[in-house]
Amino acid sequence: MEKWLASWSVNIAIAFTALRTNLMRSILTMLGVLIGVFAVTLAVAVGNGAQVSVMQSINSFGSNMAIIVPEPDNEGGRRSFDRGRLTQRDLRAIEREVPGVIATAPQLRSTLDLVTPGANATTSSVGTTPGYGSITHHPADRGRYITEADVRSAARVLVLGRTTAETLFGEFDPVGESVRVDGVPFQVIGLLEEKGSTFGTDNDDTVVMPISTMRQRFVGDTLPGPDDLQLAFAGFEEGASLVQGKIDITNVLKDRYRVRDGEINPFRVRTTQEFMEESQFITGILQAVLVAIASISLLVGGIGIMNIMLVSVTERTREIGLRMALGAKRSDIRNQFLVEAAVLCVLGGAVGLALAWLAGTALTAYADFPVPIGVGVAIGSLIFSAVIGLAFGGYPAVRASRLSPIEALRTE
Amino acid sequence: MMATPATPRTATDQPLIETRKLVKSYNLGGETIHAVNGVSLSIERGEYVAIMGTSGSGKSTFMNMIGCLDVPTSGQVLIDGTPTASMSSDELASLRNEKIGFVFQQFNLLARTSSIDNVAVPLIYAGIDKAERRERAIAKLRDMGLGDRLLNTPAKLSGGQQQRVAIARALVTEPLVLLADEPTGALDTRTSEEIMAIFEKLNAAGITVIVVTHEDEIADHAKRRIEFRDGKVIEDRLVKNRTVASAHAEAEGV
Repeated sequence: MEKWLASWSVNIAIAFTALRTNLMRSILTMLGVLIGVFAVTLAVAVGNGAQVSVMQSINSFGSNMAIIVPEPDNEGGRRSFDRGRLTQRDLRAIEREVPGVIATAPQLRSTLDLVTPGANATTSSVGTTPGYGSITHHPADRGRYITEADVRSAARVLVLGRTTAETLFGEFDPVGESVRVDGVPFQVIGLLEEKGSTFGTDNDDTVVMPISTMRQRFVGDTLPGPDDLQLAFAGFEEGASLVQGKIDITNVLKDRYRVRDGEINPFRVRTTQEFMEESQFITGILQAVLVAIASISLLVGGIGIMNIMLVSVTERTREIGLRMALGAKRSDIRNQFLVEAAVLCVLGGAVGLALAWLAGTALTAYADFPVPIGVGVAIGSLIFSAVIGLAFGGYPAVRASRLSPIEALRTE
Repeated sequence: MMATPATPRTATDQPLIETRKLVKSYNLGGETIHAVNGVSLSIERGEYVAIMGTSGSGKSTFMNMIGCLDVPTSGQVLIDGTPTASMSSDELASLRNEKIGFVFQQFNLLARTSSIDNVAVPLIYAGIDKAERRERAIAKLRDMGLGDRLLNTPAKLSGGQQQRVAIARALVTEPLVLLADEPTGALDTRTSEEIMAIFEKLNAAGITVIVVTHEDEIADHAKRRIEFRDGKVIEDRLVKNRTVASAHAEAEGV
């Protein structure tokens, strides 16, 4: 073991001497690997960052919920009657019958014009019930949220998102102020917590009001019946299986609407888990494509290593012959050149990794996009560059070791 | 790391080097050239042999084969009684490392490498640790009168000094035989005398020395003279009127 270590340390010393001897050439060769490792590392990190950022966005909407969308069955000109509709009675049934569901919330949505004496805003507005805030992780942190009493009385009250509040009132505290919505006066009762934006959509540019108010005043005539919903949310308790939850919700709804097996299901139930899996799949593809493109530069770098090692073997044929005459075995010669290639690659790889880390840090700081280069990625890219060295240095090294001592010594 | 060969170093009943019907032939454009053509001879321990011949006589090819650098077309080379024909390349490498010291016409030192590191190269392949390598290299360099040139690179040494570094390198593994191929070919007359004096001293100390040369003045230092022509030995005799260079060289302060 000790001798084994000693012989490798000698090989590394020989490699550094050889690389120093042709310093400029060594640096240029290293540059190829450097760019390759830089590109691959950054591609992996960007992919990971995309994944992280998608996860964060999905989590910010509530990590444990199902979304239920009615899909009216208009196939073959049949009238849909009760098929493909969703009402608050269905939600109460889901709350009652599906294990793990802690709350449900309906949603009616409409784009409304909001006007104050000094300003106006056109905002995507939500009509819902009090549970909505907690299921979607978007409660009020100033004033208050809508209550059951507001829903029962179809109160003309609004909870404003931060962006909407700022558009309408600027720095001024809007709680208690009045806003005209499509000409009807409403009172602002609270402000929603600030949430930031996801995928370029500003989550703070929104308004929440009681579902009854939304139905009576703005969207009632667009719905098939007086109790219909556009969609609904079901929040599950921590640790509940969303796969089972989705099946249970579907079964409850099938039961209530007497959907027989084999018939097209007039509801679509989607869970946050599915969104996560899908987006993981998509960001996974994105990452694979990025890494594949970046790998081409690493491949070119590897070919550069092979080229230089072949030149080095040719130039040093006489030295190889001498070493063989003095007692070097084939494996000694092979290892000497393998180590030289690996040293080139690992040095290039280390600098490439350092630059990728700098670029990642800069992107994270200034482009507001997480580019995490973890310990795993760092170690992985160093091992990868060593493997590149061994793979592309292998052929020249074996070629050197196969030289006949006397042929090599005779070379001028 | 090193496998000790089965044959002990003290197998004194065997010739040090023995060749049996040694042949080396090349195929040049369909025509077979016999560089060495059936040479059988033996060299005992302690001999000082000059191998003579003109260019193309086969003397260098012969030396490469007895040095285990080249493989015979047919025939046998026995080193210390051990046939080499069936040895693997690794076994041959160990044999060269332990039993044979090479000195070349062009010195063949590693450029940009200190005298110590040059001399220590064979010890690397013998699996000797760094401290001992250094110690033994310094000792051999001192023996060669280079105690004040330990850290010089070849570029900072004269031709004679470079060849003495090369001799130190050849001797550092304590080999049985020193094989020198035209060792003075790149040196002036006076320096050549110095090198020959070193060979004489080494031989006097019991090391077998084989020198390949085409110069009579160099061959005259040896005790035995083997002359090659067209791949065959045409003369093999003991030298009567030896030139003794050591007295002359010692006067010069070597």
